Amino acid sequence: MAIADLPLLTITLLIPVIGTLFVFFMKNEDNAKKLALIFSLIPLGMSILIWSLFEIGGGYQFMESHTWIESIGISYTVAIDGLSLPMLFLTTLLIPLSIVFAWDTKKRQKEFFGLLLMIEVGLIGVFVSLDFFLFYIFWELVLIPMYFFIGIWGGPRKHYAAIKFFIFTHVGSVIMLLAIFALYFESADMLGYATFNMMDIATVSPNFSVAFQGAAFLALLFGFAVKMPAVPVHTWLPDAHVEAPTAGSVILAGVMLKMGGYGLFRVGITMLPDGALEYYWVMAALGVVGMIYGALICLAQVDLKKMIAYSSISHMGFVLLGASTLNLIGVAGGIYQMFSHGIVTAVLFMMCGVIHHKTGTRDIPKLQGLITKMPQASFILIVGFLASLGLPGLNGFVSELMVFVGAYEAYSILIVVPLITLAIGAAYYIWTMQRILMGDFNKKLGNVTDLEKYELIPLAILVVFIVFLGFYPNPLLDVIYPAAEAVLGGVVI
Amino acid sequence: MNYLILLPQMILVAIAMLIPAIDLYGKDKARILPYLASGALGISLLFLAIFTGIIPLEIFDITIPTSLFGGMLVIDRFALFLQLLFGTVTLFVVMASSTYIKKNERNQGEYYSLLLIATVGMMVVAMANDLITLFIGLEIASISSYALAGFRKNDKKSAEAAMKYFIIGALSSSIVLYGISLFYGLTGTTDLAQFGTALSNLNSGQDGLLAMATIFLIAGFSFKVAAAPFHMWAPDVYQGAPTTITTFLAAGSKKMGFAALFKVFLFGLISFKADWAIAFGVMAALTMTIGNLAALKQQDLKRMLAYSSIAQAGYIMMALAVATQYALGGALFHILTHAFMKTGAFIIVAMLSVMLIGSRVEDLRGLRIKSPITAFCMAIMMLSLAGIPPLAGFASKFVLFSSAIDAGGWLIWLAVIAVINSAISLYYYARVLKEMYVLPTGKNKPIRMKEPLAMLIPIVLATAAVIIIGLYPAPFVDAAMDAARALIP
Repeated sequence: MAIADLPLLTITLLIPVIGTLFVFFMKNEDNAKKLALIFSLIPLGMSILIWSLFEIGGGYQFMESHTWIESIGISYTVAIDGLSLPMLFLTTLLIPLSIVFAWDTKKRQKEFFGLLLMIEVGLIGVFVSLDFFLFYIFWELVLIPMYFFIGIWGGPRKHYAAIKFFIFTHVGSVIMLLAIFALYFESADMLGYATFNMMDIATVSPNFSVAFQGAAFLALLFGFAVKMPAVPVHTWLPDAHVEAPTAGSVILAGVMLKMGGYGLFRVGITMLPDGALEYYWVMAALGVVGMIYGALICLAQVDLKKMIAYSSISHMGFVLLGASTLNLIGVAGGIYQMFSHGIVTAVLFMMCGVIHHKTGTRDIPKLQGLITKMPQASFILIVGFLASLGLPGLNGFVSELMVFVGAYEAYSILIVVPLITLAIGAAYYIWTMQRILMGDFNKKLGNVTDLEKYELIPLAILVVFIVFLGFYPNPLLDVIYPAAEAVLGGVVI
Repeated sequence: MNYLILLPQMILVAIAMLIPAIDLYGKDKARILPYLASGALGISLLFLAIFTGIIPLEIFDITIPTSLFGGMLVIDRFALFLQLLFGTVTLFVVMASSTYIKKNERNQGEYYSLLLIATVGMMVVAMANDLITLFIGLEIASISSYALAGFRKNDKKSAEAAMKYFIIGALSSSIVLYGISLFYGLTGTTDLAQFGTALSNLNSGQDGLLAMATIFLIAGFSFKVAAAPFHMWAPDVYQGAPTTITTFLAAGSKKMGFAALFKVFLFGLISFKADWAIAFGVMAALTMTIGNLAALKQQDLKRMLAYSSIAQAGYIMMALAVATQYALGGALFHILTHAFMKTGAFIIVAMLSVMLIGSRVEDLRGLRIKSPITAFCMAIMMLSLAGIPPLAGFASKFVLFSSAIDAGGWLIWLAVIAVINSAISLYYYARVLKEMYVLPTGKNKPIRMKEPLAMLIPIVLATAAVIIIGLYPAPFVDAAMDAARALIP
C-alpha cells in the first residue's frame, strides 16, 4: 500500500487528540512540554509529507468520507486542496514553535500544553473538514481551550478578555450556523437529498436565486468578519491579544484569525458567487476601513502588544480587500496574505513576549536602546517589522503587492485610499523601531539579557520563512493559484 | 388487545404499593427502599427496551402502535420514547436519593412510592390519546410531585416551595380542565384523534368559543412547562424543593408538560396550526429571553439552573411554533439531551450539598482540586447546555434550530432570537467554568474530597450520555424522528 492511500488527514487530526489526553493525564508535570512537543511535531511531519505528496492543481485530495448521521445527511468528510494546505502547514508549524517558545511556563503546565494541543485539533479540523457539521464542530472547538488559555494564563484583565472573546466569536459562529442551515435546506430541494457535504452543496449553490445568495452571504460574512476580525466587530481582539499569554497570541493572530478568511473563500465566495458579486462592496468597505482604522490606531498605541494587535486588524483588512476584488490575482493575494501574516505576526508577538519577559514592560516610551543589550532580538524584531510593513524581499511584500494589483484591476484609481495604509504602516513601524531600539539604553530597565535558546529557535525558523518566501514565493503561489481559480469558479463578472 | 404492553407501568405501581408496607414493617429500610425502587425502574426500563426493540428479544407478542381501552391509550413510538426517558430520569433520581435522603429522615417509604407513582403518571400522559386520560395522568404526576416538593416539611423553604407549587399547579390544572370541558362542549368528544374532523364541522358562531378553549389549554399547559409569562413559580419551587426532587421536576415533570402539549396541539389540533402557531412562537421567544436574562445574575446554582431550564423550555417550545415533523423530532431529541444535562447538573448540585460544599456559584471555586471528576462533569454539562459542539446539547439544538430555518418565513427570526439567546446563555454557563477552573483558589488550599458513590454513578452516566450522544447522535436522532412520525405522519 502506498503512503498516499493511508488516511493521512485523519492521522494528522488524531495525533493531537491523543496528545491532549496523554498530556492531561500524565503524572509528571515537568514532562508535559516534552510530550506536547513530540505530539505536535508529528502533525508537522505529516503536513510536510502531505505537501510533498500533494498534486498541484489537483483539486481536493486525500479525501476520506464516512457516513456519520445518515438521517440528516451528515458525514465525516475530510480532504485538502490548495486553499487549505497552506493553512494546515501554518497551523502545524506554529503550534510546536509556540510550545518551544513557552518552554519556561511554570503555572499549571499540564493544562497549558494540553490545551495548546486541543487548539491544534480544532484548527486542523476546520481546515480539513468538508462537511458543514464537522466544520462547525471544529470551528467551535477552538473557542473552549482558547477561553481557558486567556482566562488562566492571561494578564491583569484576563477574565474580561476571555469571556468577551468567547461570546463575541460565539455570536459570529451561530449566525454563520443559521446561514449553513439555509444552504442545507435550499440545496436539499435542488439535489433531491439533504446533505451537509460542502462539495455536494457547492455543485448546486451557485444556482440559487440572487436574493437568497445575498442574504446567506451576508450572514456568513458576519460570522467570518467577527473572526477575522473586521471593524466594527473587532473589539474583542485587542483585549484578547493583550491579555493572552504569548503562545495564545501567536496562535490567535497566527492561525485563528485565518479561520475567518478561510471560511470566506471556502464557503462564502466558492458557494455563493452571486452573493459575493452582489455584496463585494461590503467586503471592500470592511477591508479598507479595517486597514486604515487599524493602522491609525497603531500610531497612537503606547503598549507594544496592543500595537501589534491592531496591526493584525489592519493586515487582515488586506485579506478582505483581496477577496472583494473577485479576480484571480486579488483572491490569490488574499490567500497568500493569510499565510504570510500568520508567519510575520507570530514573530512580532513572540518578540513582544521576549521584550516583556526581559524588561518587565511593554510600554514603548519606557523601552529605549534595546539594540545595545539585545542585538539578536533587535535584529529579528527589525526583520519582523519590515516584513510587516511590506518591504520588498520579505514575504509581506508579495501578498500586499498582489492584493493591490488585484484591487487596481477591480477599482482602478480608487486604490489610493487603501494605499494610505502602507504609508501609515511604515510610519508606525519605523517610529516604534526608532523609539524602542535606538537611543541610549534606559537604565531603569535593569539587567537585560538577549534571547534564550528556546526563544531563538522558533524565531529563527520563522525568519527563515519570511526571507525565503520573500525572494522565492513560488512553492506557495503554485499551490494557491489553482485554489484561487477554484474559488472563483462560479463568479461571472 | 394485549395488556402486557402495560407491564412496565404495572410493575411500578405494584412496587409503589409495596414500598410503604415495607417501610412500616421492614428492618433497615433506608437501605432496602432505594434498591427496591431502582429495581422496579430497572425492570420496567428493561421491558420498555424490549418493546422498542433496543434489546432484540421477541418474547412478547406485541405490535406497535397498540391501542387500548377503546383508544384511550395508544402505545406508539412517541409514548415509548418518552416512557424510556421518564424511567431513566427517575432511576437516576432514585440512585442519587439513596445518599441525598439521609438514613434517619422520616417518611422515606412515601418518598420512593410517590416518585414511582409520579413516573407512572408521566408515562400515562405519554400514552394518552384522549383528553380525559391525559388529564388523569397529569394529575397523578402533579399531585405526587406537590407532596415530594414538600418532603422536608420542617425546612421552611421546602414547605414554601410545596405550597407555591401546589397552588399554581392546582390553578393550572383547573384551567386545563376548563379548556377540556369547552372542547367537549364544542365537539362532543374527548378523543384527540377525532378533533380534526369534529372541529371542522363547527359553524362560524362558535369561533370565539374555540379560541377561548385553545387559550385555556395553552395557558394551563404553559404553567406546567413554566413558559413565560407563566414561569414565575419555577425558580422558587426549584430552589426550595429537595435537590433530587428538583432534578425530577426539571428533567422529568416539565417534559411531561411538553408531552401533553405535543399530544394536544401537534396531534389533536394540528389542522388548526395557523391559528395557534404564532402564539407559541411569541411565547417561545419570550421564554428563552426571560430565562436567559434572569439567569445571568443568579448567584445560587439551583436558581441559575432553574432559569436555564426555563430558557431551554423556550427552545423546545419552538417546535410548537414550527409544527412540522422534523421540528417535533428535534424537540423530542432536545428533551432527551436536556433531560440528561439537567439530571447531571442538578445531581451535582445535590452532591455538593451532601459534601457540604454549598450551592452558590462561588462555592465551586477549587472544585477542580476537591473533586476533579465532578468539576469535569459539571464543565461538560455547562458546555452542553450552552450548545457547544461536539456535545449532546449542540446536536439537539442543531436539529431544533434548523427546523425553524427549514420552515422559513417569520420562523427564521425565531431561529435568530434562539441563537442569540444561545450566545447570551454562554455567559452564565461560562461563569461556572470560570469559578471551577480559571480563578485561583485563594489562601485556603482545597483538599481532595471523597464523593458519595451512589451520586457519582448517575452523574458519570449522564456525562457519558451527553458525550456519546454528542459524538454519535445518529441512533438518538433516529429514535426521536420515529417518535415524531407517530404524531405527525
